[in-house]
Amino acid sequence: MSTRVAESPASLADPDELALGLPESYLSAGSTLGSWLTTTDHKRIAILYALSVTLFFFIGGVAATMVRLELFTPQADLVGADTYNKLFTLHGVIMVWFFLIPSIPTTFGNFLLPLMIGARDLAFPKLNLASWYLNVLGGLTTTAAVLAGGIDTGWTFYVPYSTTFSNTAVTVGVMGVFISGFSTIATGVNFIATTHLLRAPGMTWFRLPLFVWAMYTTSIIFVLATPVLALTLILVAAERTLGLPIFDPARGGDPILYQHLFWFYSHPAVYIMLLPGMGIVSEVITCFARRRIFGYEFMVYALVAIAVIGFFTWGHHMFTSGMSPYAALIFSFLSFVVAVPSAIKVFNWTATLYRGQVGFESPMLYVLGYIGLFTVGGLTGLFLASIPIDVHVQDTYFVVAHFHYIMVGATVSAYFAGLHFWWPKFTGRMYPETWAKFAAVLMFFGFNLTFFPQFIAGYLGMPRRYHVYPPEFQVWNVLSSSGAAVLAAAYLMPLGYLTWSLFFGARAVNDPWNASGLEWRTTSPPPRDNFFGRPAVLGKPYNYHPEGAEPVHDQPRMPSQGSLT
Amino acid sequence: MSAPVSAGAVWRRVLPVWLGLMALLALACAAAYAPLGPWTVAVSFGIAATQALLVALLFMRLDSASALIRLTAACGLFWSAILFSLSLADVLSRLTRT
Amino acid sequence: MSDPAIATEALLREPWDGLKLPEEQALSYQRTGATFGIWIFIASEVLFFGALFLFYTAVRAEHAEAFAAAARETNIVYGTVNTALLLTSGLTAAAASRASEHAALIRLTRWCLVATALLGLAFLVVKGLEYREDIAEHLVPGPGFKLPEASAQLFFGFYWLSTAIHGIHLMIGIGLVARLIVIGWRHPERIPGNPQVEVTLLYWGFVDMVWLFLYPALYLAGRSG
Repeated sequence: MSTRVAESPASLADPDELALGLPESYLSAGSTLGSWLTTTDHKRIAILYALSVTLFFFIGGVAATMVRLELFTPQADLVGADTYNKLFTLHGVIMVWFFLIPSIPTTFGNFLLPLMIGARDLAFPKLNLASWYLNVLGGLTTTAAVLAGGIDTGWTFYVPYSTTFSNTAVTVGVMGVFISGFSTIATGVNFIATTHLLRAPGMTWFRLPLFVWAMYTTSIIFVLATPVLALTLILVAAERTLGLPIFDPARGGDPILYQHLFWFYSHPAVYIMLLPGMGIVSEVITCFARRRIFGYEFMVYALVAIAVIGFFTWGHHMFTSGMSPYAALIFSFLSFVVAVPSAIKVFNWTATLYRGQVGFESPMLYVLGYIGLFTVGGLTGLFLASIPIDVHVQDTYFVVAHFHYIMVGATVSAYFAGLHFWWPKFTGRMYPETWAKFAAVLMFFGFNLTFFPQFIAGYLGMPRRYHVYPPEFQVWNVLSSSGAAVLAAAYLMPLGYLTWSLFFGARAVNDPWNASGLEWRTTSPPPRDNFFGRPAVLGKPYNYHPEGAEPVHDQPRMPSQGSLT
Repeated sequence: MSAPVSAGAVWRRVLPVWLGLMALLALACAAAYAPLGPWTVAVSFGIAATQALLVALLFMRLDSASALIRLTAACGLFWSAILFSLSLADVLSRLTRT
Repeated sequence: MSDPAIATEALLREPWDGLKLPEEQALSYQRTGATFGIWIFIASEVLFFGALFLFYTAVRAEHAEAFAAAARETNIVYGTVNTALLLTSGLTAAAASRASEHAALIRLTRWCLVATALLGLAFLVVKGLEYREDIAEHLVPGPGFKLPEASAQLFFGFYWLSTAIHGIHLMIGIGLVARLIVIGWRHPERIPGNPQVEVTLLYWGFVDMVWLFLYPALYLAGRSG
């Protein structure tokens, strides 16, 4: 059976299906605003999420621009201390909860998870739509807090400052984050149930694309970490508004307990931001190296290990908080342990490239950038996991640079890699490749120029969260702010040329990259029901062997010219 | 499913559980006033855990649920154990130092 | 489930109807999905309340005497009556869930759903009486609090917050059960075999379980000696 498939994929197809003209895509199922706002199609909900996530990305980006502009000189010339505090809080809150956490799962995950496992939709389509509304409601509530005067606590809302002293709109802000928490829990429930119950015949667990594994493990974190944050934010809001003593040290409360609860969520949240990107990298790197992923099983185990061990390491954010040194020792050890599966992933990606026929199309450029930036971010994470170094660089720009390498350098690169890789599938259009390559390279250099100087400034002792600094740090800040300008250009360019491609781009064929996943076995863009007939899976993912050969397709190919949009 | 078809069959399944739960409630209430010293906490929460187990197994029917669903329930407990053990590792060792 | 009176077609939902399965199997699979989904949510809720109980555990460990003194101020009669009410509502919920599998038992299902909602409401009424008494006794943290130690207020911070959060969960549960009652009243054929019945009653069972732990935490501490 399988050899026959290898010879002629089209021989499996129903001849009547091949004779169809252009099929109708999900985009043409209705074009009114109402048809979008009441849709239960996972693909349309993904587009809704893409719009809201992009909006929040640029809101957070504006705040970051203001921060970098202010830091261009050592004095306070653009904004004062209070405004500066509100700006970096706005940047952190919006970027973490309304861009980084939902970005890849709710856009690519929503769109691709059912396609990749051969399902018609997610398990609970109405819940999926509800989760988008909750996300937008949460985002608007938090934005309202900004309009109501802003929040100046930093994105961590540390007590007792946030509960007792801050005179800003903390309550409204945390309620916004609280609401968005339900949105991510709903997404997590949906993804887990879908992955367990709606896989196509033959799609066994160890035939799942790694992106699906990444979504699955991310969903586990969504479901098991987010409720702790929700409760913690309720505690903060209750202490602020009702005056209940919760963390108030004057009445015997324990502010360090707040940090435990907060980081029990927020450290796994780093892996919420990271794992989906790892999934995208695995999809893209195999396609453009024309190689099967190196060590598929270990890539799966590594994803699961990161998701689980990631829950054991939160205390490394608290080494200088007054936590017991015994606990600090345990957390330091566990933080080193979580580096092992991350390293396995980097080694396996590199090994996948070995003897591959590596192409340098724009998605691959983003992915290669990802691997470099993730490695730097990960290794500096080991510095911070060891207590003596952490005590030295705690609350300096070293920490800022480290987590931006992971959360922005790595994750946003992966986001753009996925955006370019699947853009033809989402929209049915091709984007201008030269512009895309230019933007990918620019992003890599802009990013490093922005954040590498911050490692040095931080190591030399520049503290974070100040709007003024001693003049000897100016050279690093000028470099960083200049890099931020480059980075801003690199982020704006895709907005331009991708929008252009929607109207003027060439029609995409069904499988422009000659890739192997199930999502390429349907039209671009896919029809409402995703597939014509029910797909069945006959083999492992990443079927790119032998070298130089076309991938082996399980599925009959659709007419290659895409679909009606 | 071992289908009970009459109303009586349904009640025969659930009423004994309810009686057990009420007996445990009476026991918990009485034990709270007994001079058990430091064991009071363990006894009262132990009874609560037993009651919760009865509710989960026999009212929420984890006893006849699939392995997947039992695993899901166990995940909630396992992750709570992570939260408790590592947080209390700090809180309790801070207490003993002061 | 070969019960002919179960209205399979009316209960099937997207995307479970598109699996190319016979309708009864598809509905059974949809029910598996719904049950699995609510259990994932319950696991999530376990962590939500787990964090709340971690707060209790840590602060109680730090202020053992103050907690015992404060816990003696709660009214154990109200607490015990409420526990009994909730356990009984758990009984009717479990009976409703089992009866809903059979179209022949639709009357029993409906009456058990009504009893469940009423017992939940009774719990809230008792809770309201208890709140009134607590306020009259100055057990609200802040100036004029009844007990002198500052850390005794922490216990009542937990008391108000945890009972309020549990009460909100219970109100949501009552709302969901009431929704089933309305469905059963308007379209009796949509109750037997409906996955939403089991989902709602599993949630109810979980809210019950939370209270089982709140009861010793709030009412049984510091009673002896």
